[in-house]
Amino acid sequence: MIDSHQKNPDEKPGWADTKGFRNVFLGVLVVAAVGAALAGFVPAFQKDHPHFAAEGFPVFFAIWGFAAFMFIVLAGQHLRKLVGRKEEYYDERE
Amino acid sequence: MNASSLLALFADNPAVILTVGALMCIATPRHLASPILLLATVLSGIKLYTMGLGEYGAIQLFDHKLTTVRLDPLSRLFAIVFHIAAALNIIYAWGPGREGSQSKDSAHSRGGDRAQNFATLAYPAAALGGVLAGDLITLFVWWEIAAITSVFLVWAPGTRATYLAGMRYLSIQIASGVLLLGGIVLLFRETGSLDFGLIGLRDADGAIKLSALFMFLAFGIKSAFPLLHNWVQDAYPKSTISGTIILSIFTTKLAVYSLARAFPGTPELIYIGAVMTIFPIFFALIENDLRKVLTYSINNQVGFMVCAIGLGAINGAAGYAFGNIIFEGLLFMALGTAMYRTGTSKATELGGLYRTMPITMVMCIIGALSISAFPGTLGFVTKGLIIDAAGYQGMFWIWLTLLFASAGVLEHAGIKIPYFTFFAHDSGKRPKDAPLGMMIAMGIAAVLCIGLGVYPEPLYALLPEAEKMADYHPYSAYHIVEQLQLLLWAVLAFAVLIIIKWYPPEIPSTNLDFDWVYRVPGRALTGWISGASRATWNALWAIFSGRIQAVMARIYAVHGPEGQMSRSWPIGFMALWTAVLLAFVLVLSFIASAFTA
Repeated sequence: MIDSHQKNPDEKPGWADTKGFRNVFLGVLVVAAVGAALAGFVPAFQKDHPHFAAEGFPVFFAIWGFAAFMFIVLAGQHLRKLVGRKEEYYDERE
Repeated sequence: MNASSLLALFADNPAVILTVGALMCIATPRHLASPILLLATVLSGIKLYTMGLGEYGAIQLFDHKLTTVRLDPLSRLFAIVFHIAAALNIIYAWGPGREGSQSKDSAHSRGGDRAQNFATLAYPAAALGGVLAGDLITLFVWWEIAAITSVFLVWAPGTRATYLAGMRYLSIQIASGVLLLGGIVLLFRETGSLDFGLIGLRDADGAIKLSALFMFLAFGIKSAFPLLHNWVQDAYPKSTISGTIILSIFTTKLAVYSLARAFPGTPELIYIGAVMTIFPIFFALIENDLRKVLTYSINNQVGFMVCAIGLGAINGAAGYAFGNIIFEGLLFMALGTAMYRTGTSKATELGGLYRTMPITMVMCIIGALSISAFPGTLGFVTKGLIIDAAGYQGMFWIWLTLLFASAGVLEHAGIKIPYFTFFAHDSGKRPKDAPLGMMIAMGIAAVLCIGLGVYPEPLYALLPEAEKMADYHPYSAYHIVEQLQLLLWAVLAFAVLIIIKWYPPEIPSTNLDFDWVYRVPGRALTGWISGASRATWNALWAIFSGRIQAVMARIYAVHGPEGQMSRSWPIGFMALWTAVLLAFVLVLSFIASAFTA
């Protein structure tokens, strides 16, 4: 068993590290996401009695999911400036 | 109560069967611990299956009947999933503690010492006992046993850090118990009842009842309400690998059950739950220790359940608790396996493990898909019950918040955990895949995630209000489309952030949370109060000790061996004074008789 931080320079890249896999993954993701958004326009896939007006908008969930994720990551990372300390912070104080 | 009825009382309680199994571990050789624990869990499960709904194990306490076992649809669901979780934990930790482990740190051990083996089942037994309790006294007893037995899991690594964390954990858990006891006493004074049923936070006039408030806070501490939540992040990730998994399941779910039992439809819980779903997302984003990320995930997930209880959606709360125990447990197990093989759970030190741990990776992804509520998983068929409840009640902002939180779950539990453990940057580590016990436990959990996700009817039939499930169809076209839009576009956002390199890098750090208040200034304040008390005492002693010593010296001078009072006197002197006194008494008697005559 090899268990080291030293990488073997002769080792082939793993399947997930190949450009081909990344392109296929991204392609499938884009197609699926666009497909889900388009499905929102199909009347058979819409709620008969939406609870809120927002649910009647065909791509509401797509926009909310994308925006929520972006907000969480882009805004949330700044929390680190406020609460981030070095790893030994509590070790030094307890 | 004679011996046979006492024995029947114990044998009727699955929690007692588990406790006996845990106690047997202490006295038997260590290699027999796992078989004994699993056997006790199976026997307890058989007992649960055969006993049927009803009340058992009645005890007469003065004029009050205590019901030690109440099996109704709500308690049955929690009891079943507690058995599943206990069995999976035992299988996961089966075998020698560190065989194949890459860490010398005892925190990375799977387990193996007697105290931990005992707590592995005694703690779930206590949580089960609480769930089955039909009265508040029985609940309190198991509540406290759960606190005490679980701390052995926090202490299991045996370091100073875990000792301190365990003491903090125990203090908070005991505080919860004291509040519960206070609430029980006040409630008994108000109503004369000890039944563990609907309590409600407010009285008929809308005023908050003090007794209910005490119990609400007691349950709130254990379910980790905002600002009462940090014992989870402080204690859980410091335990051993299997200890953390066990801890992650029972305490918070016992509290969720208690809230569902006593405070269903309490509006305050809607907002508390909504806050709980949101704030951990941001802390999880910036956290480098992935086990700690999952503890923030516990807060977030329990938030969904608390919100559901507030909405009165008990099916949603109980169903999601059932699902969460399985899929969050699976994530903890997969991460624990990676940690077992590499010796670390830090995102900065992991990555690239998919090459040599493909089975664990697949298990982790199944857990991640399930917690994110992708269609076809256990998360999808249970979380929808909660979000729909907010919709049915027309609570737009709560509904929107829960959707936002769902995107957050995807970020930290659905993507961050598998991505940084198995992909991301290559750590260069090439460990073996999971040992057999870990693989079996993860495999069973994964099968449950997918099996009940595709075919949820058996779970729906067990929900506390199963009759309401007749009209609920999770796989309606719009529900699938809505969920896929939400999740796929959130994943797309992640892909965009990675491609344009805006996703924040993981940084080794400690992130301060509310526990900072009692760990740094609180600790300093306690130290200051202690020092000030000592200084005050010393000053007072310095002031008074001189005077006290002077008084003592004077007493000694008078009464000591050389003192005035110790002097020897001539007998004639004493005889003279006796005659004087007698004469005085004689004169007094004469005067007194003259006046009375």
